[in-house]
Amino acid sequence: MKIVAAIKMRFVIWVWNHTPHCDEMSRLASRSLDGTLPRKLRLKMRVHFFICVWCQRYGQQLRMMHQRAHGLDETRTTSQTLSGDAKERMKLRLRKSSDA
Amino acid sequence: MDSEKTPSAMPSVEPAIERPAADIASSDPERWVEEYGDYLFKFALTRLRDASRAEDMVQETFLAALKGGSSFAGRSAERSWLVGILKNKIVDYFRKASRETSFTDMSFYAEEESYRFIQEGAFQGGWIHELGPVQWSPEPGAGLDGKMFMNVFNDCAEKLPRNVARVFMLRELDGVETREICELLNISESNVWVMLHRARMALRRCLETNWVGKQA
Repeated sequence: MKIVAAIKMRFVIWVWNHTPHCDEMSRLASRSLDGTLPRKLRLKMRVHFFICVWCQRYGQQLRMMHQRAHGLDETRTTSQTLSGDAKERMKLRLRKSSDA
Repeated sequence: MDSEKTPSAMPSVEPAIERPAADIASSDPERWVEEYGDYLFKFALTRLRDASRAEDMVQETFLAALKGGSSFAGRSAERSWLVGILKNKIVDYFRKASRETSFTDMSFYAEEESYRFIQEGAFQGGWIHELGPVQWSPEPGAGLDGKMFMNVFNDCAEKLPRNVARVFMLRELDGVETREICELLNISESNVWVMLHRARMALRRCLETNWVGKQA
């Protein structure tokens, strides 16, 4: 058991030393939503995920937010509408403009 | 998906937007106000967060549509056409506003939730375990009620500094590419990346506190 734990620990340390750290991973998670990252970097990120559930979650949650935001019907985010007065003002200006 | 929500490009000039096929006589501008006024207003309000400015933008959109109307010919739906004009107006406004105000907001830039990361030692830069992202339950995406998510999303986005919110809205709501945002607002791409990173981080935390927290 001790040997397994020791191997595990060595693996974690090796990955830690050869992949971006979590603060950098959080930047990369955002960058990956805005374009394709170099293949080598993507591979390093994947390897980092093996040892870090937080970065995995962070990446997933960011992606989920990104996808949901794209699908949002933004006109439902506010219940505020144009007042009757505002509409009348607009009509009046349009009328004037089309008459001119 | 609504075609007007994901423009492939957001040019600053209106003639790029094709007018619907219906002839001009059947497009009564006053009918536009009744039919599309509220929709366009909400669309503008989400992005501008200023009701009177949003109203002005809608008014300008109708006027521009009226002016340009007869010279356009195309197949896109009337509402998409109007939304297209409105989008250009908003981007133009953002561009002008970005010249007037600095894109740096120090308090926002200082905030990178660095307290969540280990500051020294062998594991410097790693998440502090108790402060790492928690599992969102229900599973991300699965149980998220659309309207509730939108409300929280909107509340959280409102807390972002105005300049950052502009970049964030252009990218996340309108799907504009970062390179295009740089050109539109005349800022560097690395600056855009930093803003998006901070905005997403702040929004994630806000969602976690306000939405996931309430679920528990």
